[in-house]
Amino acid sequence: MSAGISNAPGTSSGSLLRRAGWRLERRLEVKPWHEVVTLVGAFIIGLAICSILIAASDKSVVDSYRALFDGAFGSRRAIYETLVQATPLIFTGLAAAFAFRAKVWNIGGEGQFFAGAMGAYFVSDLWSGVLPRGVMVPVLFIGAAAAGALWASIAGVLKARYDTNEIITTVMLNFIILLILSYLLGDLWRSPDTFYFQTVTLPESTHLPLMIGGSRLHWGFGIAAAMAVVVYVVLRRTALGYEVRGVGINRTAGSYKGISVPRVTVLVMAISGALAGLAGAAELAGVHHRLQLDISNNFGFVGIIIALIGRLHPAGVVVSAIAFGALVNGAVTMQIQTGIPAALVDVIQGLSLIFVLTGAVAVRYRLQRTRTDESLPALADPTDE
Amino acid sequence: MNGSGANSVLLRASGVTKRFPGVVANDDITLEVQRARVHCLLGENGAGKSTLADLFYGVHEPDEGVIELRGEPIHMVSPRDAIAAGIGMVRQHFELVTPMSVLENVVIGTRGEAKVDLRTARVRLGELCDLYGVEVDLDTPVGDLAVGQQQWVEILKALYLGCEVLILDEPTAVLTPEGIERLFTTLRRMASEGLTIVLITHKLHEVMEISDDVTVLRRGRVVRTSLTSEVTMAGLTRMMVGRDVDLDIDVAEASRGDLVLDVSGLDVATESGRGSLKQVSLVVHEREILGIAGVSGNGQDALFDVLVGMQPAAAGTIVVDGQDMAELSPAARLDLGVASVPADRIHQGLMMDFRISENLILGRQRSDRFGRRGWLNQNDIARFADDSFANYDIAAPSPTHVTRVLSGGNLQKIVMARELAGQPRLLIVHQPTRGLDIGATEYVRRRLVEERDRGAAILLISEDLDELLNLSSRIAVMFDGRIVGEVDRRDATIDRIGMWMAGVSGTPGEAPP
Ligand SMILES: Nc1ncnc2c1ncn2[C@@H]1O[C@H](COP(=O)(O)OP(=O)(O)OP(=O)(O)O)[C@@H](O)[C@H]1O
Ligand SMILES: [Mg+2]
Repeated sequence: MSAGISNAPGTSSGSLLRRAGWRLERRLEVKPWHEVVTLVGAFIIGLAICSILIAASDKSVVDSYRALFDGAFGSRRAIYETLVQATPLIFTGLAAAFAFRAKVWNIGGEGQFFAGAMGAYFVSDLWSGVLPRGVMVPVLFIGAAAAGALWASIAGVLKARYDTNEIITTVMLNFIILLILSYLLGDLWRSPDTFYFQTVTLPESTHLPLMIGGSRLHWGFGIAAAMAVVVYVVLRRTALGYEVRGVGINRTAGSYKGISVPRVTVLVMAISGALAGLAGAAELAGVHHRLQLDISNNFGFVGIIIALIGRLHPAGVVVSAIAFGALVNGAVTMQIQTGIPAALVDVIQGLSLIFVLTGAVAVRYRLQRTRTDESLPALADPTDE
Repeated sequence: MNGSGANSVLLRASGVTKRFPGVVANDDITLEVQRARVHCLLGENGAGKSTLADLFYGVHEPDEGVIELRGEPIHMVSPRDAIAAGIGMVRQHFELVTPMSVLENVVIGTRGEAKVDLRTARVRLGELCDLYGVEVDLDTPVGDLAVGQQQWVEILKALYLGCEVLILDEPTAVLTPEGIERLFTTLRRMASEGLTIVLITHKLHEVMEISDDVTVLRRGRVVRTSLTSEVTMAGLTRMMVGRDVDLDIDVAEASRGDLVLDVSGLDVATESGRGSLKQVSLVVHEREILGIAGVSGNGQDALFDVLVGMQPAAAGTIVVDGQDMAELSPAARLDLGVASVPADRIHQGLMMDFRISENLILGRQRSDRFGRRGWLNQNDIARFADDSFANYDIAAPSPTHVTRVLSGGNLQKIVMARELAGQPRLLIVHQPTRGLDIGATEYVRRRLVEERDRGAAILLISEDLDELLNLSSRIAVMFDGRIVGEVDRRDATIDRIGMWMAGVSGTPGEAPP
């Protein structure tokens, strides 16, 4: 191999960017508005690319997206329905975001969602006859949070104690909890009047009150939004949040300065699990009112995408959860009106994620105008990829 | 500018300005580097030295002005362009792939070839090592090398890529005196072979020793470029900080108080066995600075780690104020009033993605000083940050900026400000003035003495003998994981300490046991 690289200034093969008089410069500080631009930009590019798919299938892009938008936001009803869809995603998105901030990779949101739903069902089953709704509902949420936290803590403790890879344990725990649930639904918890794997419908005293009468929008959404604020405040304003972020940034320096990384890991897992568990309670007590195997529409997994698209920021999580809720909701209308399969929204989701992740790298650079002095000889290949 | 020998100018910055949000890091800089000479850049922390070097290396592009090489303007978009043009650089914070071997790290920078021929590379690299007298094992993973060695890998990388100008950003900060001697010998050989060297350093005697030309920067501007033979250290200091600075600060004798730290029979095992501790015993009292001298790699890191609780002791006791803390967690030790400044500030001392103000409270985020019951009080934090900025003259637009934007010396100031503010009972500092400009060095040394006078017990681990002789009440010397000798400052001589550092025990004149 010729090791030395020619010392002579190369000839001019500048990148397009540079010939246009621009260059990329790395920036060390990413401002909040950069994140907002990334998020919005990613959704727009995702939609734009899908419009090519729509056009390719000989459908009108404008009509399709209008139907999508109408289905999502076209009427009060549509908006409420969108928020209903967004509710569990806000919880699971917050769960993932909180854990990821500490670089604790909790992929078990799905299992913790079910653990939460089971916890909620368990306390409802136990006390719905004796407790009034005003007490029952909070208790049911507490039960869900506790169950979710407990389930996630298994992975947390294994990681803290034995340095077990939490990605693997949390994924495995997803399977385990589903098996436990199927067992319970087939046996102890099975409703006596059905052959299906489902429980009895829970009594009124366990039902979440509605936020808007006559719609399906229940207070789960309000609680989810409140939790976003709580997570923000915890991360920004408390010593715990400081330590969580610190462990995510540099756990070595954290340990030197007395932050117990194992302790933070277990706590983060538990809190993350509790948040995912709340999603289970909200779905059980706000929408389904009985426990069955299909109460989750992959909420735990989609929550991870939501968290990443929301740049691990609670506000970002709320925004992207609502956007996803809108897509899911609007897709139904779109399918009915134009015949485009609702699965298209999965493509939009996937593309948005890709672009957000790309954008996350891109915002670390800024475009700078360079002198358009073409007399300057260019050197060898610049950083055009 | 130098009028003489204008036709031998190799690298030139003319009218170069570089702005970052909130600061003008380089302000209309014009500078000429002559071929086959050693050119030093000197200036306070944050003066813009690294930024200027980055402009030469294509990391940044000037907002105004041009960089010229061999009289031609060159337009660099990335270090690749610089490398292609024959400019190499060892940056202040290394850029190595630590799990990979020395050889792999060196060839990783070559591009354009799909397949790397490691065998040829090995031969060529061996030749380079021979030519410049570099000793490094090509197959060791870089992560296992000491920092000083890692730096040689960076230098090899630049040479391998065929540089004609080699820029070194504070290379001596991570080297022992012997290492510096070796580096300088090599640099001189390189210059005589026709290589051009640009060297950044804070140490004036190094400037005087190695350089042919010196340029002083101040607040982003060039104060002056001179022939080194025509300037004095005092003159350079005045150009750099605008006043006289005497680093040999006046340290009054202090009567030592109660025993604070009592370490006895301490053994620490390390995986490789290198840098382990064997039967270390030492004591530090109130109002006393115990200096630990020694060539790096002789157990200083293990000593630091075991004292702060990051490494378990295999045997022995660490007693602070009568309590054995050998089994305590780092957090519990902080509660006992043990503060520490690690040598590797970026990895062990700072959260680079935190705000500066957040880093200033690291370790005390749960103390009443900055909040209550787990809540952080933003006002208290902001006020403390403002005080620290003022006291330590920290050069940054504001405390809410991300720590990453700080210059190397300012990072160290953040750590010092944080650790000294807690009024520690026991302060363990490792290379506290590494990378600091002389003004800041003077300030930190004064602060250490003030802390001593306040009543703190201080363990000062340093490779800077001048610093140790100036500040310490007693000096102990480490060699191969043991304390091989200890001496009162009054009786300390460079010779005696040097002997111990080389592993010869006993006192001069006596036969070693
Ligand atoms: N990428 C960046 N973004 C924002 N500010 C920066 C950036 N790089 C440097 N600065 C700022 O520019 C100024 C000059 O920094 P520079 O690193 O060049 O100083 P220096 O002379 O090398 O100091 P030191 O001796 O401490 O290493 C500092 O105020 C620093 O905070
Ligand atoms: Mg620097």
